[in-house]
Amino acid sequence: MVIQYKCPNCGDDMRFDSHSGMLSCASCGRKDNIQDLPDEFITNHFDEEEAKQYQCENCGAVVITDADTTATSCSFCGAAVVLGDRLTRALAPAKVLPFKISKDEARAAFKKWCKNGLLTPKGFMSANRIKEITGLYVPFWLYDLNAQAEVKAIGVRTRQYSRGDYIYTEKKYYDVYRDITMDYSRVPVDASEKMHDELMDKLEPFHYQDMEDFRTPYLAGYIAEKYNYDDEAMFPRVKDKISGYIDSYISSTIRGYSYVNYKQRNISTSKRHAAYVLLPVWMVYYDYDHHVHTFAMNGQTGKVVGKPPISKKKVVAWFTSIAATTFVGIKIVALMMGGGLLW
Amino acid sequence: MVKSGYSRILLIVFIFIFSLLPTTTAFAQGQDTIDQRIYDHAGLLSENDIQELEILAKKYSDERETNFVIVTEDDPKPNDVAEYTEDFYDEKLPGYDKPAGNAVILTLDMKNREVYLAGFYKGEKYLGSHRLDLIREKITPFLSDGDYFHAFKEFILTGHAYMGYWTGIEPDSFFFSWWFQIGVPLVLAAIVLFAMLYSSGGRVTVNSATYIDNQHSKVRKHHDIYLRKTVDRRRKPKNNSNNRGGFGGGGITRGGHSHSGSRGSF
Repeated sequence: MVIQYKCPNCGDDMRFDSHSGMLSCASCGRKDNIQDLPDEFITNHFDEEEAKQYQCENCGAVVITDADTTATSCSFCGAAVVLGDRLTRALAPAKVLPFKISKDEARAAFKKWCKNGLLTPKGFMSANRIKEITGLYVPFWLYDLNAQAEVKAIGVRTRQYSRGDYIYTEKKYYDVYRDITMDYSRVPVDASEKMHDELMDKLEPFHYQDMEDFRTPYLAGYIAEKYNYDDEAMFPRVKDKISGYIDSYISSTIRGYSYVNYKQRNISTSKRHAAYVLLPVWMVYYDYDHHVHTFAMNGQTGKVVGKPPISKKKVVAWFTSIAATTFVGIKIVALMMGGGLLW
Repeated sequence: MVKSGYSRILLIVFIFIFSLLPTTTAFAQGQDTIDQRIYDHAGLLSENDIQELEILAKKYSDERETNFVIVTEDDPKPNDVAEYTEDFYDEKLPGYDKPAGNAVILTLDMKNREVYLAGFYKGEKYLGSHRLDLIREKITPFLSDGDYFHAFKEFILTGHAYMGYWTGIEPDSFFFSWWFQIGVPLVLAAIVLFAMLYSSGGRVTVNSATYIDNQHSKVRKHHDIYLRKTVDRRRKPKNNSNNRGGFGGGGITRGGHSHSGSRGSF
């Protein structure tokens, strides 16, 4: 089923406005507070259908989406549509982080980012070939985790002193024991099959204080995906993500030793809670040198990630100038201290 | 006959004046320099070698305002190369700026096959015992081979070069080597470029502090129990590795001139 938001004043299509955070009408300027709108669509229990065709209520055209899309635009009249039956209870997000950056701002921010690329080719830096820029709500799981660690180790303190003709090295061995509990809150892991994990990890951090309870109008005007993996399926990935954090926490509790030999590390990570949320991402598709380069931008902070094309010429130029400058610098210092011009 | 007698007298006078001339010039320059720097008493060098070394020594002595002096002796009196060198300095006073002034002396004792290097005043300041050790180590292979000319040449060139370094700087330091001066810029540039390429696609900016809940994270139980202690002992390394062939370092001459020194056999 297709959900559209018609302006009660003029009947035009309404969409989410990233500046005011409200549902707004481009024609008459009406703005509605999303949290106050009736909650009809998400509390209803829809059956999950795998149908891929919807009819736009505006123009009657058929909206074709893939099975994971929950919000899109009609390709004929451009009306923002939300596919309500894709947001059935099990799949309905608990929270949403609305877009803070509008499409124009995203475009400008991306251009600025391209210009700052030190190794990107000249043609790329002008950023005038943005093919497409799409606002996407990416499904994420936010995990609240608890990790328990029991660590047994031998810590060694070394000390050197000299007496008479001898140098003494003293090593003191300690039996070290730690029982640690660590809580991590709202660690994000993207739950969409389409999204590149590494790209999504680099988009962090998202600031959760702007998070809102989920309402479908937030999706109006954007594309939204439903999750492909549930929180159980993604648990190994989040565990992997925080394992480095746990290690550094453990070593931060064992201080004052020259070195530490770990004898035993029992770490068990458990999930306290997992919340399904939608986080805002601008996807930028950029045509350069007959290739489409894909970039992602954090829709809240404007941070851009993605592999830009690299200019070999610039790499060589940077390498040469850094090496040459350093060489001259060392040479000047060496000459001042009395070294010869030709070593 | 009268004419020839007259011209003969004239000739003798001329020879006398000309033979006097170098000495007079030497006296005239007395405050600045000396005329002889190579004293080959042991006869190790050919006439040409001596000429060449004199020219070389003068050139580099002028540049450093310190006389590079070379003495060879078959049977030194006293029979100690260091004492002999000290006495030589007191007697000849081969200073550059003044008689008892800047000088570096290399003495070769052919009887005991020992070599001694000594630096006086500016020579002592810029060529301390450690630097003299380095020079001595460089020339010893030549001396052992009997290639005295090259040993002496190396002494002048290296001594001149080392005097250019600030005091306290290790002239043989890797910092002055070509592989360091070329290698470091290359490695640095590679690291910087690698970092630039790595971060060109955006960096991970979250860390272990981002998601931790500090209120609920803590050490619940812990202990650090002392188990045992081990002590290893080793002998202090000798900081003077130069005194293979006797007492190293410098001293003070009977005439009261302090100097640096390096002694070794060859």
